[in-house]
Amino acid sequence: MNFTDTKKSNALVVNVTGRMDAITAPEFDAQCQNWLDAGETKVVVDLGDLEYISSAGLRSILAAAKRLKGSQGELLFSGLSGMVEEVFNVSGFAAMFKIYKTSEEALAG
Amino acid sequence: MSRHHGIAFKLAALILSCTFVIVAVIVGYNYYYSRDIILRQAEENSKNLAQDTAGRIDSVLITVQKVADNIAFSLEDATLSKKELLDLNKRVLANNPEIYGMAIAFEPYFLEADKLFFAPYYYRSGGRISFSMLGSPDYRYFYMDWYQIPKELERPVWTEPYHDSGGGGVLMATYSVPFFCTVDGEKVFAGVVTADISLDWLEDMLQNIKIYDTGFAFLLSRHGTFITHKDHNLVLNQTIFTLAEELKSPRLRDIGQKMLAGESAFVPMDEIFSESKQYLFYTGLQYGGWSLGILFPKNEMLAEVRKLSNVMSLIGIVGFIILAMLIIYIARKITTPLRKLSGSALEIASGNLDIQLPEITSQDEVGDLAESFKIMKDSLNEYIANLTSTTAAKERIESELRIAREIQMGILPKLFPAFPERPEFDVFASIEPAKEVGGDLYDFFFVDDDHFCFLLGDVSGKGVPAAFFMAVTKTLLKVVSERGLDPGDIITKVNSDLAAENESCMFVTLFLAIMDINTGETRYANAGHNPPVYMPCNGKPEWIPPLGEPVAGVMEGMKYSTKTMTMHPGDIIFIYTDGVSEAMNPENELYSDERLMDTLTAMKNPFAPELVKEIDKSIKVFTRGAEQSDDITMLAMQFCGKCEKKEQGE
Repeated sequence: MNFTDTKKSNALVVNVTGRMDAITAPEFDAQCQNWLDAGETKVVVDLGDLEYISSAGLRSILAAAKRLKGSQGELLFSGLSGMVEEVFNVSGFAAMFKIYKTSEEALAG
Repeated sequence: MSRHHGIAFKLAALILSCTFVIVAVIVGYNYYYSRDIILRQAEENSKNLAQDTAGRIDSVLITVQKVADNIAFSLEDATLSKKELLDLNKRVLANNPEIYGMAIAFEPYFLEADKLFFAPYYYRSGGRISFSMLGSPDYRYFYMDWYQIPKELERPVWTEPYHDSGGGGVLMATYSVPFFCTVDGEKVFAGVVTADISLDWLEDMLQNIKIYDTGFAFLLSRHGTFITHKDHNLVLNQTIFTLAEELKSPRLRDIGQKMLAGESAFVPMDEIFSESKQYLFYTGLQYGGWSLGILFPKNEMLAEVRKLSNVMSLIGIVGFIILAMLIIYIARKITTPLRKLSGSALEIASGNLDIQLPEITSQDEVGDLAESFKIMKDSLNEYIANLTSTTAAKERIESELRIAREIQMGILPKLFPAFPERPEFDVFASIEPAKEVGGDLYDFFFVDDDHFCFLLGDVSGKGVPAAFFMAVTKTLLKVVSERGLDPGDIITKVNSDLAAENESCMFVTLFLAIMDINTGETRYANAGHNPPVYMPCNGKPEWIPPLGEPVAGVMEGMKYSTKTMTMHPGDIIFIYTDGVSEAMNPENELYSDERLMDTLTAMKNPFAPELVKEIDKSIKVFTRGAEQSDDITMLAMQFCGKCEKKEQGE
């Protein structure tokens, strides 16, 4: 799993690629802690290039959202497709989070 | 040591072969170089010796010649009486010890008209001077070479050596000078003056020349006849040419020609005059047309060189042996501790870490190695001790985890058929736990006499936390379900309870259904679980569409809805966790929902247990023994209605 951060005016856009499973999910947790330490509150996670997400990955996302919320922050998603989009739908994550087609839309919204 | 050569052998072989080559080159070079020097010296010496000898012979010959010449000269000028002639002859002989004998031989009837012979001859015999008058009917001296040749040539000559039976009776060579008298104004031949030299005298002189042990000198006459030679049989009997003929040696003939031409040279010779190789120095004499040859035996000449080489070789060999012993000693000194260390290493490798290391105190690389070795052993010991305790701790944890796993699996119903006395339905479930403790769960039970609840869930993550969460969830579900609520309400309640104290954001996906076993009416709720499959009897399997409601345990106060569907006899609901669709083969490919659906479609009206077992088999075929990363949990609920189960399947 790889991350690419892009600092925008009012938010941080993070591109996540690869697989997000029990082995790599802790990296996401650590990354999330970095954002918090850097004072980021609005984080847009672009999952367009994510190949796979497991329940452990979902848990990391939940944990991240919870921590951001604790700091009056917000976690948004964009670019969902394929298997990841399906998992988001099935698990109800689609209903729990704000999801946009592109990161630009997420920044505007 | 038997399989391969040790350092000692290699070191010794390398150094000794180098040394051998060096010593051999030194000895060889020394031999050839010294031989050259010796040969040059020998050539020089032989030249000097030969010239000295030739000079000595020449000095004798010239004395003899001068004496004879002077007498002849005086005879030509003066008219001497017979007595005066005899006196002159005798006196000259007495004054010239080199001369063996002297004669003044006149032409027949020259001195006295009545005397055919007049040739007084004085010669040495037994230390005294004897006298005889040459000439008799048996010894007509006019016909002898010493008389005739100078007469004909009208100049002095040296005769070939001969054995004079008429005169001195010894081997001799004679110098004859013709003298002339003026008779009637005309110069006529009057006779010859002769001076003999004894060849014995020459031979004595030549034999006194010491040339190593077997070397010798020889003298050739004008025509190549041996005048003196070590082999007396050759003297006067053979010429160098007849000898060359006899020995079939063209080379000897060639040398003979050069000798007679008066040349000098130092040449190697074959085994001609002796059994071994020789060098020959030859040179022409100034007088008499003679030539001198000196033979040097090669092996005797080079004896010193050989001796030197032998001594050097001997020193080389002794040094070689000492060096070999020294090298072997040093190499042994190095390799012995190494071999001991090697033995110890083998012992350590076989697991004996308490071995006493060999005591090596040398202050060199081997000592360093031994020291490092000791440190390694100690570190290994320490490491093994650590490892042992760590392993013990790990094993304890693992065994506790295993027990926890067993307890976790124990709370899932495992006995099938679960309700053999109820013909209205059949339920079958299986769980294939992954290596690591996971959080899959399923359950089924009667809520009341007519309603049967079955459920399947998947807790996020793995390990002990997931297992705990799973146990809590299962217990809560059972307790809440038995209150007779709708599935949606049950999950709503359980979600609230779970979410209340869930700091770690664990969650569980759930599919929970309650079936009226008389009518087949089934109400269900889905909290983020992947869609189960509805398999109508004699129909095509289809997904039960997800409701889009989130996973349970995260959002407190979330409301879950209930849906209703109707099962017909023979219909099956197949619920599974993502361990099924995400089972991976060694190429990291997923089993996938599509493959699952295809497999289900291929089955024709299976029983619930058969269905689960078939899918399980299909997964195993697909994964080909690749390690399982998640629990594989399946539950199949078949509604049979009022019918007999067996009839349903047929």
